[in-house]
Amino acid sequence: MNICIYGSSLSAWVAATCLAKVGNEVVIDEVMGDSKQAITEVSVIRDEPGLLTEVLCQIKEGRLSRRQQHTKVTADVHWLALQPNEQQLAERVMDDLRLNGTGVLVVNQCNFNVGATEGLQSSLGVGGDVVYIPDNLQEGLALNGFMRPSRITLGIDKEAAVDKTKALLQPFSSDIDCLQLMSSREAEFTKFAITGMLALRIGYINELANLADLLQVDISIVQEGMGADPRIGNHYLSPGCGFGGQNFDAYVQKFSGILKKERQQSLLKTVIEENEVQKELLFRKLWQHYQGKLAGKVVALWGASFKPGTGSIDNAPSIKIIDALISQGVRVNVHDPEALGHLMTHYGQHPLINYAENHLTAAEGADAVLLVTEWPIYKSPDYKRLVALMRVALLIDGRNMFDKTQAKKSGFIYFGVGR
Amino acid sequence: MASSIKAWVGLQSHAEEMQAIHLKNLFDSNEDRFGTFSFSFSHYLLDLSKQRITDETLSKLLLLADQQGLEAWISKLFNGEKVNYSEQRAALHTALRLPEDAPLRVEGQDVAHDVQASLLKMHGLVEQIQQAQWRGFDGSPIRSVVNIGVGGSNLGPLMACAALEQYAGADIRHLDVHFVSSMDGSELEKLLPSLDPSTTLFIVASKSFATVDTLANANTARQWLLTASHQSIDLINQHHFIAVTARPDQALTWGVPEKNQLLLWDWVGGRYSLWSVVGLPIALKIGMQNFREMLAGAHAMDEHFRCTPFEKNLPVLLALISVWNINFLNIHAHAILPYDGRLAQLPAYLEQLEMESNGKSINRQGDRIEYRTCPVLWGQVGSSAQHAFYQLLHQGTEPVMCDFIASATRYESEAPQLKQQHQLSLANCLAQSRLLAVGDSLSDSKEQGSNYKHYDGNQPSTTIMLDTLTPETLGGLIAMYEHKVFVQSVIWDINPFDQWGVEQGKKAASSLLTALKNGGNDDLDSSTNGLLRYVKDWQQRTES
Repeated sequence: MNICIYGSSLSAWVAATCLAKVGNEVVIDEVMGDSKQAITEVSVIRDEPGLLTEVLCQIKEGRLSRRQQHTKVTADVHWLALQPNEQQLAERVMDDLRLNGTGVLVVNQCNFNVGATEGLQSSLGVGGDVVYIPDNLQEGLALNGFMRPSRITLGIDKEAAVDKTKALLQPFSSDIDCLQLMSSREAEFTKFAITGMLALRIGYINELANLADLLQVDISIVQEGMGADPRIGNHYLSPGCGFGGQNFDAYVQKFSGILKKERQQSLLKTVIEENEVQKELLFRKLWQHYQGKLAGKVVALWGASFKPGTGSIDNAPSIKIIDALISQGVRVNVHDPEALGHLMTHYGQHPLINYAENHLTAAEGADAVLLVTEWPIYKSPDYKRLVALMRVALLIDGRNMFDKTQAKKSGFIYFGVGR
Repeated sequence: MASSIKAWVGLQSHAEEMQAIHLKNLFDSNEDRFGTFSFSFSHYLLDLSKQRITDETLSKLLLLADQQGLEAWISKLFNGEKVNYSEQRAALHTALRLPEDAPLRVEGQDVAHDVQASLLKMHGLVEQIQQAQWRGFDGSPIRSVVNIGVGGSNLGPLMACAALEQYAGADIRHLDVHFVSSMDGSELEKLLPSLDPSTTLFIVASKSFATVDTLANANTARQWLLTASHQSIDLINQHHFIAVTARPDQALTWGVPEKNQLLLWDWVGGRYSLWSVVGLPIALKIGMQNFREMLAGAHAMDEHFRCTPFEKNLPVLLALISVWNINFLNIHAHAILPYDGRLAQLPAYLEQLEMESNGKSINRQGDRIEYRTCPVLWGQVGSSAQHAFYQLLHQGTEPVMCDFIASATRYESEAPQLKQQHQLSLANCLAQSRLLAVGDSLSDSKEQGSNYKHYDGNQPSTTIMLDTLTPETLGGLIAMYEHKVFVQSVIWDINPFDQWGVEQGKKAASSLLTALKNGGNDDLDSSTNGLLRYVKDWQQRTES
């Protein structure tokens, strides 16, 4: 099939790459992106493990190409992977297709709104079918998630589009447990509902962790107990210093906006607000330990990306923590295996920020180590050596990653999230 | 004595003629009365055509201003001479709003530099708080600011915050700004339960840092923080209190560290202080840029006042008209009537500015004067006052002069319904000033023979119209009233910058605290003793 992908997000690149990999002829129209920028420079591609290699491979083999301005594209399938705030661009694509296309299939993978796919269909008119396939991308695991999904939800309003859509997805749906067919409006709502539910779980466990701190209860134990209940399960039940990321954050915000518009209030709004507060949790723990006297202290930050496996710092807790620290005159030694480039772009050369080569040099002479992102390389440090390196052996664990007993035995003052 | 000078006597005989002339006749005899008696400068229009004046009145009043040496007094004010003679101080509120690069030295002191340094420190604190980087005791960012102050440390910031709220940028709207002033703790009692101690910052604003009302509230606030936080008093002082004062030593003794102090000087009078660091709540509410625009608006009015010939000088004209009404037409009540809900606090602000400044009866030579000075001044948002005290204005026995204050445009980017409400308000403003002036003589529905439905009219009023209400025009409006008060004081030969009349009461109160415990005191009068006994009696009954 000839497929045109619209968008410059991670989702757009993943869809383009995977669809090319299974033999389609794919053109990616980066729309708001810069199609002249070298592939190796595109940060959403670089930050996703394995993606750069795969993109280069598909381009080399000629199945994937980048649309340059004013070149004509003829395709059977048009795949929209735009940002939640780019609905106007999608409308523009529909306008072009209405004039030129007949019998095309349009896949809407954007999280615009509930009812957006219906809107696109009426803009397109009778020249083709618009279907909705939710974007279930998980940053860090994006390629695998697209190639081998465990379930697929399809939002299709016209019987005729079902077979065409199934054919398009056939290479990826060989071993799925579950394929659900529903209206586009229901599928859009389901997508938002899932994201919101996950945010609520994280918000709730974080609130419990903060309470556990006050009541001298270890949240890890409580978490195990809760997870053992089959009605609850273990997923999304780890407390931490706040969720971030481009997609998750944007979807939750968007859904909260829809809820607020329709109902004038929203449980999710509270979750979002509390999450912003949670992002400063490690700073507050540091502040409380030093009784607010932070000027001149040196702090090592381990991890800056919003989660391990990606270099993205979008809405990451690290940004709020660094802002708070430098405002207090704290010297920050930050390390991250992937995100330092983005941090440098964000902060530039700052007299209080030192971009460390590795996490151990970051800890040299520090008055605290703040673990922000649970990268595997941080997981099992030589505690004794670390104690010796630091000025004050204070470990603030934002992901409850370290072995608390071991750390304390080695001489650390240890604070986790709720333990 | 002002009343014995030639111009004064001339005005007295002119007033006798004018007493017999109704405003309606004045309008009848001059078709372009508005053209003759309205004056504009920059964003401001001052309409005096509904005042009971003629060309002759104005020229006689201008003569009075000359004979009282107004021009020389204006330069003394601006140059930093000790115009507040009873306290041997300058009154340099105009220096507080000088542009950043304007020089001003007074007696060798670089006043302009001091002012800018103080504003710069305030700017730093404002940014830290607005960027959510000022931290409370547990490291949470401050979200609520409570200004504790009374008189000039309360009324100006309160009035300006209410007037300019719409100018708070989206990035700083997360910050709540509250005001607490009453000595009895009523406001704190209501406010504190709604605040989170860890995210609340208190501004203690007191020029002397000895104001009993303010320190009582500050102590209550600090105890609330100590109880909630279980932290040391030192930590609480460091992270939850900013002092705005001219007495850093006193503030330090109370507990506010130097880094949290913002300074003003003894040459800033309390009721002239919103331009100084006392304006911190304003800057927090609307941003430093808007605060500076308010200063710039006031400075433009200063320059207008300093440089414009008196016959076109808005503050001078405003003052001379009030002198005419008070001293020659015998009007001793003055209503302030903003037709704009945003200016709801303006009457209370002007009550202090005018009555505390010019509520005096001793002249600069120390002699008792034999003419009237500041009238009783009060007010309310005009459209609400229509349902309260306008009855007295229209049909009572008391002559009252009114200031109508409105802005021509509002709600430019809002819904048509709101725009229509602005039109409704303006229509009421103009209808009321017209009815007060001409009475029901022009009314179509005039009912003959029913006296109780009759409107005499002939109540004079001034209308002050702004293009639109902005930080800049509010600054100019307030400066206009400040200078009006100063001009009046020059005509009346009194010192507008002291307030000895509020001192004695403070001392008396502290001795009564002991008497209250004892239920009386032989040195006191029988009324006070009777009341003390009654209170003690009831307090004992409630305790037991």
